Amino acid sequence: MLERDEKNLRLLIRGADAPFINALRRNVIAEVPCMAIDDVVIIENSSVFHDEIIAHRLGLIPLKTDLDGYNLPEECSCKSEFGCNLCRVILTLDREAKEGAITVYSGDLTSENPNIVPVSDKIPIVKLAKGQKLRLEAYARLGKGKNHAKWQPVSLCSYKYLPRININGESCDACEKCVEICPRKVLAKREGKIEVRNLLACTLCRDCVDVCPKQPPAIEVDWEKNAFIFSVESTGVLPPERIVMEAVKILNKDLEELAKQIEV
Amino acid sequence: MIIPIRCFTCGKLIGDKWEEFARRVKMGEDAGDVLDSLGIKRYCCRRMFLSHVEIIDEVLRFYEEAEKRREARIQYYQQ
Repeated sequence: MLERDEKNLRLLIRGADAPFINALRRNVIAEVPCMAIDDVVIIENSSVFHDEIIAHRLGLIPLKTDLDGYNLPEECSCKSEFGCNLCRVILTLDREAKEGAITVYSGDLTSENPNIVPVSDKIPIVKLAKGQKLRLEAYARLGKGKNHAKWQPVSLCSYKYLPRININGESCDACEKCVEICPRKVLAKREGKIEVRNLLACTLCRDCVDVCPKQPPAIEVDWEKNAFIFSVESTGVLPPERIVMEAVKILNKDLEELAKQIEV
Repeated sequence: MIIPIRCFTCGKLIGDKWEEFARRVKMGEDAGDVLDSLGIKRYCCRRMFLSHVEIIDEVLRFYEEAEKRREARIQYYQQ
């Protein structure tokens, strides 16, 4: 683990190959379920927006998800179109602009489950002029990123090869051209020598190799075959390490399924 | 019309940061610095803020005006 905070996670993975890491990435994006508003019943809407726009905006609000407490609607035992307590959460909203214009925020949504609430209370849904009203009931369900981007638990999930920079100490005369051109400030000069200061920031652009006046270049940029920097940025619905763990579980399940199918 | 909830390209939540961004830019801060301090790193999310025009406030003015007239009319007929 290289770095982690509430929403971001950066991992250094060694001993894996690109297809595996890519499978993991695709599972994180498309297969890890999370909560989002799916159906909206508009009771009253006199705002400037159409019902559909409000429903769409509600759908995109990321909700804090409890993966253990809820089932995917298609796997739930209720088999009902409207869902049961185990596969959907009802959120209601009731605002009226009595005196002057107001903004309706995601924090105005009241959830039946205090754990399934919007990630942020400060997301504007719509603005109401004096006299306008908005009343609605929304049904949040678990879903997968492959069905709609609102169910994607991450905003960024990517990987890159671990860079490897070799500086030939004999032919390099520390002219600093490579230090200047590097867009990520990976290199630095210290005691008359070029040093790699921030290896992980390197984007493998090879500008430093192109700019080197020596023939052949005194600097070599390469990458390690089986080491990757894997970064995940959660939208806040789940902690990033939980997302990666879920993706691994789903990948395992799929592979077992595949093994079973091949056996028969 | 109103700030989108998520970045069109990557899906990062941006809606909740707009009001702070708009307020601070209006106070005279540099837009780029504000975005940096809000933690908006990628250029897809940054353009969401920089290119956004909040027209809904202009639209609402017409409705406020209509509401005022309606109230005035009611008052007139009551007299």
